[in-house]
Amino acid sequence: MALPFSGRKDGLSLSEALPDRSLFILVAMMSFLAALTLTGATGARTLSTRWAGGAAQLLTIQVSEPDQPLAATSKADKTAQPTRADAVLADLATLPTGTQVHRLTQEELARLLTPWLGDAGKTALPLPAVIEVRLAEGQEAPANLEQTLDAHVPGTVVEHNAEWSTRLRALAQSLLACAALALATVGGIATMITALATKAGLSTRRDIIEILHGLGATDSYIAGRFAWRTGGLALGGGLLGTLLAMAPLLLLFRMAAPFAASTLQAASTTMPDWRTLPDLLPGDMLVGLAALPFVAAFIGWVTTQFMVRVWLRRLP
Amino acid sequence: MIRLTNVSWRRERKASTPVLSNLSFEVPQGGFRWLLGPSGAGKTSLLSLLHVESLPSDGTLCLLDKDVTAHTHRSVLVRLRQRIGMVHQDFRLMPDLSVADNVALPMRLQHRPEDEITDEVQSILKWVGLGDRLGVRASRLSGGEQQRTAIARAIVHRPGLILADEPTNALEEPQAHKLLDMFSELSSMGTTVIVATHNEALVRRLSRPALVLERGRLVQDGA
Ligand SMILES: Nc1ncnc2c1ncn2[C@@H]1O[C@H](COP(=O)(O)OP(=O)(O)O)[C@@H](O)[C@H]1O
Ligand SMILES: [Mg+2]
Repeated sequence: MALPFSGRKDGLSLSEALPDRSLFILVAMMSFLAALTLTGATGARTLSTRWAGGAAQLLTIQVSEPDQPLAATSKADKTAQPTRADAVLADLATLPTGTQVHRLTQEELARLLTPWLGDAGKTALPLPAVIEVRLAEGQEAPANLEQTLDAHVPGTVVEHNAEWSTRLRALAQSLLACAALALATVGGIATMITALATKAGLSTRRDIIEILHGLGATDSYIAGRFAWRTGGLALGGGLLGTLLAMAPLLLLFRMAAPFAASTLQAASTTMPDWRTLPDLLPGDMLVGLAALPFVAAFIGWVTTQFMVRVWLRRLP
Repeated sequence: MIRLTNVSWRRERKASTPVLSNLSFEVPQGGFRWLLGPSGAGKTSLLSLLHVESLPSDGTLCLLDKDVTAHTHRSVLVRLRQRIGMVHQDFRLMPDLSVADNVALPMRLQHRPEDEITDEVQSILKWVGLGDRLGVRASRLSGGEQQRTAIARAIVHRPGLILADEPTNALEEPQAHKLLDMFSELSSMGTTVIVATHNEALVRRLSRPALVLERGRLVQDGA
């Protein structure tokens, strides 16, 4: 004969003792916030590494009137002289090995300028030659490169992107620090809310806990019962909050995608297709987002364990 | 075996008058003691010390070969409590649980196998006359039924020490006699039993040594 046992019940009835709904909703809201913060931080980091990291090794050199001979002193010499662009290219060939020097073709130049000038191929503006110099990892351009080139080929402009990259990196780092601070604050609030909910649960179940304690329940049993309950609620809230955050997050990355692209070619003016979005979200951010509900559950579990065990110390 | 040496207990650390003062007595394993005294004498307080619900403010208390006053680790006290069966004056059942679940609790907390629990709970509840009330919520029981459930819960796991605080208050006379016979039998089988009561007829029925309290002091140790 089966006994009319109501399962593995111990009378704590925690589903009625803990302020479930408010804990669940609050954790969901905080996870939402944490997911957005995490996204912002990842976005800032991605952009900074792509821009700043790439930019540090990149020089852009503009040579005006590229097809004029180097020094048009006498008309007879005209054909014997190299063009100004070729002269600069020859100078750049003396840079350390591993350096890539590439003069943009007419088409590349046109594509670069299309957003600003329309069909650049037909423009009457005299376009300079644009030479991209990509230094090998860890290499630095000679400090006097611009003077040397300008002396040799007057009117040559060297744009060094290192300053730009330092500033970008500083900006990204302060953004990351803000994000870390925000995440820590959210974690702190989650801890406090769990602690308050546990306290409320403990005070409504005071008599029951004392009976269980008297019947020989261990601290870890009682703390565990509370902790799995709040941990489970926090896991559910964390899942909901993170899932809800996916909508604004995808939109954000969809908008950021063109700027995050690493190559000139990919930086098209049209936005990428929705279907390509999973490729756009950085892997470490997906890992961070997936971890969020578990972090929430862990915070709930640990806080409750601590609270209940401290409370139980009043009983011998 | 129980041994108290100069045990005093204050409800609050700074309370001026102790609830129990300077108690010293011994009960051997398998001994039976009545705990007598007027209302307010401290019977319930003494039983709660013996149940390790509180610790003495002074003196030493040894229970089932453990000195609970020697800064004993919590886990030792837990295991000690698991070997004690207590019938509280106010029953202290879990109101939301069925009779069977209430009685199963001590065994479940000790992780006994579920089929063993089923057998023990069924037979003990049949014995106290609640064989047809297994699934009823404790909050719906009459006073007598609650008391019998509390008694079943206190003995179901075969404790080495049984403490009963006015366990026959809500019982009819035949039930009270039946309970007394069982306590006496358990004690002859090696369980230490202490029963606090007002019921003089009951005390006369079973002549055993009595500990008599008055205003927190032991005025008679019949051993
Ligand atoms: N919850 C309580 N708070 C304060 N004093 C109490 C409480 N319960 C009992 N007392 C006091 O403690 C003393 C001992 O009570 P108790 O142990 O219940 O005696 P008994 O069980 O013999 O009637 C009495 O003076 C009583 O008034
Ligand atoms: Mg009493």
